[in-house]
Amino acid sequence: MSIDWLSAYLIYALFTVAGTVGLAQLLHLQMGLAGIGNFGIVGFFGLGMYAWGVFQVRIPWPDALGDWGSFFLSLVMAVIVSGLAGLLIGWVIADLEGDGVLVGTLGFATIMYSLALSEKRWTGGAEGMAVPDPLRTFNWGVKPMSLFWLGVMILLVVGITYYVARVHRSPYGRLLIAVGQNEPLARSLGKPTFRTKLILFALGSAGMGLVGAVFGVMNHFIRPTEIGIEVTLAAMVGLVMGGSARVWGAIVGVLLTAGLFDIVVQIYLPLPDSWYQITLPVVREIVFGAMLILVLLWRPLGVLGDMRRDKLVERLGSG
Amino acid sequence: MAEAAVTASAGRPHLRVEGAVKSFDGRVVVEVADLTLGNNPVEGLIGPNGAGKTTLMRMIMHSLKLDKGRVTFYPGDGARGVVISSRPAHAMASLGVVKTNQVIQDFEKLTIWDSLLLAAARRREERPFRIFAEKRVWARNTDEIKRYLEEFPFANPYGFAKSAGEKKLLDILRCLLLRPKLLLLDEPTAGLPADVRDRVMQTIKKKAVDENVSVVIVEHDLNVIWTLSDYVHFMAEGSVVLQGDPAWIREHETVVEKYLGKGHVGH
Amino acid sequence: MSLDIDRTDEAPVPPLGKRVQELLETRPGRIGVWVAALGALALVVAFWSLARKALIFGLAEEAPLALAAVGFALLYRLTGIINVAYAETVTLGAYFGMWFNTTFGWNFYLSLIPAALGAGVLSVITYFAFFRPAHNRNVGVVEMIILSFGLSIVLRYGLQLIFGHEQRYFKVPFQNPIRILGLGVPPFRVTALAGVVAGALILYWFIQKTRLGIQIRALAGDEKLAQVSGINPMAVTVLIWFIAGVAGGAAGAFYGVGASVRPLLGWSKFLYILLAVLVGGARGLRGVIVAGLGMGVLLSGLTLAIKGQGLYSEILVVLLFIIILKLRRNRMSEAAKV
Repeated sequence: MSIDWLSAYLIYALFTVAGTVGLAQLLHLQMGLAGIGNFGIVGFFGLGMYAWGVFQVRIPWPDALGDWGSFFLSLVMAVIVSGLAGLLIGWVIADLEGDGVLVGTLGFATIMYSLALSEKRWTGGAEGMAVPDPLRTFNWGVKPMSLFWLGVMILLVVGITYYVARVHRSPYGRLLIAVGQNEPLARSLGKPTFRTKLILFALGSAGMGLVGAVFGVMNHFIRPTEIGIEVTLAAMVGLVMGGSARVWGAIVGVLLTAGLFDIVVQIYLPLPDSWYQITLPVVREIVFGAMLILVLLWRPLGVLGDMRRDKLVERLGSG
Repeated sequence: MAEAAVTASAGRPHLRVEGAVKSFDGRVVVEVADLTLGNNPVEGLIGPNGAGKTTLMRMIMHSLKLDKGRVTFYPGDGARGVVISSRPAHAMASLGVVKTNQVIQDFEKLTIWDSLLLAAARRREERPFRIFAEKRVWARNTDEIKRYLEEFPFANPYGFAKSAGEKKLLDILRCLLLRPKLLLLDEPTAGLPADVRDRVMQTIKKKAVDENVSVVIVEHDLNVIWTLSDYVHFMAEGSVVLQGDPAWIREHETVVEKYLGKGHVGH
Repeated sequence: MSLDIDRTDEAPVPPLGKRVQELLETRPGRIGVWVAALGALALVVAFWSLARKALIFGLAEEAPLALAAVGFALLYRLTGIINVAYAETVTLGAYFGMWFNTTFGWNFYLSLIPAALGAGVLSVITYFAFFRPAHNRNVGVVEMIILSFGLSIVLRYGLQLIFGHEQRYFKVPFQNPIRILGLGVPPFRVTALAGVVAGALILYWFIQKTRLGIQIRALAGDEKLAQVSGINPMAVTVLIWFIAGVAGGAAGAFYGVGASVRPLLGWSKFLYILLAVLVGGARGLRGVIVAGLGMGVLLSGLTLAIKGQGLYSEILVVLLFIIILKLRRNRMSEAAKV
């Protein structure tokens, strides 16, 4: 089978879109259901990516583990580290209002970015660090390796989406909505709201860290430029565009934003070559920012509209 | 609850409030030396506006912190008392101390069934990895919820609570589904249509007598107090000044003077 | 918080015994403050050479932070809106000032006027274009933050599209440094500091002490009361947005003349502004000014102490302020509202 029609850029763009869907789905749990406005998504994403890279490259793993052994252990460590960071940040913000949540999550992302720059010995500083691909022993060539990781990312995102879909129709989801809607009332019904938010934040962060780690694996290179505010913006605009009412919201939203822009506009529109380096990335952010404003003003529930929770509950009740 | 009759008088679930003080801006709003709530099936807590009734309720439920003092809950089954004033607010419900809300409170994005299932679900069914627990929660609670919904019909129980009356009723039903041992009702009748109000009160009275639930009602509609309660606490200026049978309280001159006014006695 | 207590007949002055009792009760907190103050003083004396540098450089370089924070705090306290795009108000102030300074050859102090007014007008425009419609459509608190975040992105990257990444500079004449506490400081920085402090204090005085300021505080967010008292609520709101923009724009111009003008200028300061407002805000505008200046001194002190590693000092300051915020909230939190 020939894969020549797949340009390296297209694979990369698909990979980015898939990863953004994963982040948006996790944000769906945190912000859409539980009402925690996480503005530090990229911090957890970046922590997972860097933690994986640092464990993979800087730890002298015993040879007996082989490439895959050290790879998986590093991946597990990355998830644990991001989960623990989520636990810590969750503890800081779980009983704060929107302003405190904003400052806590934004502060975390800023600290992560600064650490990536300053800890040169571990992270390679501004130049970043190259990380080996465990697939390299197979001598597949670059494109099949990228395709493999694209498949891994898609599987991961499908898994996350399935989880979110199940949460929507489980007592846990009901608890999250209750906490997001009226926390004191949920507390008076005996729900440990602080702990609920804490655990949600830790789990969501671990998931974001995993998405970040897979991102680093595919990229073969980890740089501070990968963990800018753009990542947070892309996930957020995707979720807001699709709305938090349905599980499909985040997918549709990301396809309409990052999907449209990174794939359709950048590949299929006849744009002058000189635009690609400087202009397009900037225009992308402007468009996404404008989307946020427009959707929140004119379509606050997202393009998919209101949740039909009454229908869902009726279905759940009758079967 | 077969043993209800046995324990009815011996050990009702009750609260003991000792030395509880709360002040705002240096002004003492509640100062209760020693108060036991719940020794009778239904007790009323009355008093003029500003007497501190709602504040006392909120202190018991931890939505306000005590400046001083403590609140102990005795579950009434012979078990030892629990100092609830040092427990987190969410622990109240699982201990069996539950309060309905004076001001309408609702989850806007949860349907009526959702709301009731939320109250009925157990904590371990709400863990993040229990993503298949929904069927079990429905199976375990459907009968009870359906009984309530038949007794108190909503326009569309699968939809959202629309009117203020529906929200108020939903609030009370949620509290009943928590299977309280001691139920505090903060102005339960405000906002309820008259016929619904009467049925709610009957249900609650029945629970109190048959299932050994101790009920404390804070209410402005004194007819509710006189007809339902077995015992009445009268609060004024932050403390409980009189306690006794409804009939006795009703005739007492302090109460008449401070609260009811002369005209009320004859009716 | 709805309490069924009647507070109209509060005693004007609590009796002496009561006051003494209150003093005794609050003593742990007061002692803590005094211990902290003495500790800080001891640190200043012990590390005098470092401390004086931190004080001078911190105040001179980060003074605009206090001014920007006061503007943000005004907006937040009086309208309840957390405006992330305030960062770009600061940036645009710097651009406006630089434009008049370089293109028309205006003296820096003169170009402060268009910088402040331009940012103020821009702030009012964002209110009418986005925040007022959003308010009328009952956009929620978190959604409002997201909306302002989107606006911030549009403005920031819009500036980047127009001006590119390059840094631009004000044209100011070179002056010989003057010596304060044995350190050479460009006189420009000193006047900037004086200007910033003066600006912050004038704002403080205007809001806290003047008749109009008191009216603004009383009427903000309560349109009915405003209408009853014959004041146009819209005018009050517009005035608040304008003043906040003026403060932000002036702060931006001061930042710009101190270093350089670039699209990320305001955003790079936004986290500090937010932290200063949230940490200092519990004690009113005065607290915000103190927190803003303290943050600047701490930043430069830590940068000096850790041998020029600016990133670490930023990390430490952010951590420290978030911890303070957390501790403060924990102490204040009433468990719930139901």
